[in-house]
Amino acid sequence: MILEITQGILERIHAQGELAYPEEGAGLLLGDISENRRRVLDVLTLPNVREDSARHNRYQLSPQDYLKGEEQAERLGMDVLGVFHSHPEHPNQPSEFDRQWAWPNFSYIITNVIKGKAIQSRSWRLTEARSNFIEEKIEIVESAKD
Amino acid sequence: MYIRYRNLESETMATLKIPSPLRTYTAGEAVVEVEGATVAQAMESLVAQHPDLRQHLFNGHGELRPFVNLYLNNEDIRHLDKLATPIQQDDRLMIVPSIAGGISQVDHSAIRVNQAMIIGLSMIAFVLDLPWLVALVAFVMVAGTILKVPGFGFVYRIVLKPLNLVKPVILDDNPEPHRFAQGFGAVVLTIGAVALVIGTGLLGWGLVWLVIALAALNLFVGFCVGCAVYYWLARLEIPGFVKSPPQETFPGMRPKAKV
Repeated sequence: MILEITQGILERIHAQGELAYPEEGAGLLLGDISENRRRVLDVLTLPNVREDSARHNRYQLSPQDYLKGEEQAERLGMDVLGVFHSHPEHPNQPSEFDRQWAWPNFSYIITNVIKGKAIQSRSWRLTEARSNFIEEKIEIVESAKD
Repeated sequence: MYIRYRNLESETMATLKIPSPLRTYTAGEAVVEVEGATVAQAMESLVAQHPDLRQHLFNGHGELRPFVNLYLNNEDIRHLDKLATPIQQDDRLMIVPSIAGGISQVDHSAIRVNQAMIIGLSMIAFVLDLPWLVALVAFVMVAGTILKVPGFGFVYRIVLKPLNLVKPVILDDNPEPHRFAQGFGAVVLTIGAVALVIGTGLLGWGLVWLVIALAALNLFVGFCVGCAVYYWLARLEIPGFVKSPPQETFPGMRPKAKV
């Protein structure tokens, strides 16, 4: 599986990671899914609702914000494709905690932010057995058109 | 096919909204008709229609997984009567995913210094025949378990780390199994200390050596028996034991992934 994304949307994800630094920033990926392709067409940056003391290593979106994402996706004729979040001063690989809270069929984009600068994003999918993540290749496309 | 879930007195029908990530299991359907007099029956009706959903919504005891929120007419059922909440004709149920994550990390240097202190002090206690020292080690371990830190972690934190004698080894790991392992060791050592005080030396020192052996297995081999027991209890879905071993790690072994 490949996750298609435009440079512009990727930059918005990186900007959110840098804005939230040294805390974790997060949001939802909206887009569409066809046979062997998942395309990110929009992102929704959302507040990290974890308490102040935990936001440097935890993120959580409120159920109301998640619903906002579903509604916006529906309005635009899209799906919620997944979640993006940043790992301040940590590698862009999913952690054990990420796995325990992960949903199947979602793309999880993780960006490592080092010294306030977003470095690189990688995308991950939870296996059906929930036992681990496998990496999903991110392909930068010119535009989100067909 | 789901006749056994039907409430014979009133066949209450409701709609249930499925979030994006679960629509693979409902053939793409965003809304499913369900029936039942309570939320629990409606959910049973859902998984009877779409069995692949079960493992993503419920644990082995039939309890909702913690990252699954259920809303009845826009109200979280945790604030109502949970799964026993009654539903009325044409109610709207909704599954809302909890979206969360982040970094989990355990400084294994603190844990290993703790083990080294437990081994060292217990051996001194044995050689010099000092039951009070066994009691002291047991007390520190009990205190650490209650405070959710390695009991002798302060030696690492205040002395060894600032002096750069022991470097931090931060691993992507769950702290809970290590706390459980320490608590288990604390209980065994406390019984050992009591046995020594009341004069059953063989039993007392036997238990002390059991704790030394388990701590040494962890310190030198990287296998935490208490953690393995924790993961085994979690697999049996015993309440309170919720964590599963880190990815690609044998339950109880020290994880490889550094963060």
